[in-house]
Amino acid sequence: MADIQTSERRAGQPSRRGSPSRSATRVDLTPMVDLGFLLITFFMLTTILSKPQVMPVVMPDKTPIDDPPAITHRQVLTLLLGANDKVYWYEGITDAQLDSTTYDADGLRRVLLEKKARIDREFGKVSRSAPGSPEQKKAISKFTVLIKATPEARYKNIVDVFDEMKICGVDHYVMIDISPQEEAFIRNPAGGLQFNEAEQVAAAYRK
Amino acid sequence: MPKNKPTRHIPTVDMTAMCDVAFLLLTFFMLTAKAKPQEPVSVDTPSSISETKLPEAGTLTILIDSEGKVYLDMAGQHTRLSLIKDMNEQYPMGLTEEEQLKFTIAGAFGVPRNQLKSWLDLEGSERASVKVPGVPTDSVNNELGPWIHNARLAQFRMKQEGKVPDEYVIVLKADQNTPYPAIQKVINTLIDINVNKFNLITSQEADPNKTNAL
Repeated sequence: MADIQTSERRAGQPSRRGSPSRSATRVDLTPMVDLGFLLITFFMLTTILSKPQVMPVVMPDKTPIDDPPAITHRQVLTLLLGANDKVYWYEGITDAQLDSTTYDADGLRRVLLEKKARIDREFGKVSRSAPGSPEQKKAISKFTVLIKATPEARYKNIVDVFDEMKICGVDHYVMIDISPQEEAFIRNPAGGLQFNEAEQVAAAYRK
Repeated sequence: MPKNKPTRHIPTVDMTAMCDVAFLLLTFFMLTAKAKPQEPVSVDTPSSISETKLPEAGTLTILIDSEGKVYLDMAGQHTRLSLIKDMNEQYPMGLTEEEQLKFTIAGAFGVPRNQLKSWLDLEGSERASVKVPGVPTDSVNNELGPWIHNARLAQFRMKQEGKVPDEYVIVLKADQNTPYPAIQKVINTLIDINVNKFNLITSQEADPNKTNAL
């Protein structure tokens, strides 16, 4: 197959003196196979594995809704994404205490999981049909997270926070614009949050 | 000494068949491989645990570099030609037929409308290296909205004509150090033209829930 016929004489013809021997030259194809598979590996990796991952995001619609869902402020955790990879958080609205943490596994994740466990104990879960399957009911936590980024935050922070929502299994979260009251709250945590509930709802639904 | 000492043959395996297979596969992968689209800026995307792959459908990519400059790229030459014709009618840019054809293969662009003509007149290699200000996204001078809106309309028409299978998937690809206000402007623009669903391009990161389970 990979032999190269060097002799042009037909078999059976008597060999003459001085003519090249009839042994066929074998070409070793092993390096060529090596090269072939090397290139295959390269193309497979660059085509299949280089396909980028995406994170699907759904943003709230700008049209105001008439009947906003009823949630008490005790179920709400607000995250304020600040400068230098710091995240500030406070619970509820009245008597809000500002605290800060990091995006590490034992920072934000612990805050979220603790709060979620507390709310699930206190309020229980809602049973709602999972999307796509009308029969299957899924227990949905009432825990709600509002994500608000300050202008000093960077893009990575936003992706990190969305990731944490997924890791901690937060069912309700929304990303909305930060209010001037909250920016003042970060600058002066002792001053408290000067906010009324109507403003919070208005901010959340961009009325 | 035994008389019939076995002669030492080196077993030779015929590699021809294996070579054939290797190169057949190689040819297949080379032909199915899609050339990586050239991007005007290199973007270091943040990592996330999301494992969703980018959909096969045509993508409309909004590229935001670390300084907050916005570039736009859309797939499909038919759509691009239809889009640039529409844009040239709605917002006269004085583009000639030739320049419009150039736009269909120009890839990602990051220039305001009034500079698009001179940008398209550049040679292909110059276009990649020249400094561009990015597509304006300010609320007073927002050109990103009309571009995306018209691109989606063009793609929808192409779908109805059967030239493309799907509508555009909106993809946001931003550098991890991009300041939030730049992202916010783009997201607000998208919401204003009723694009509430889009995808953020991220690189892979291990999911702690899954690594713990192992």
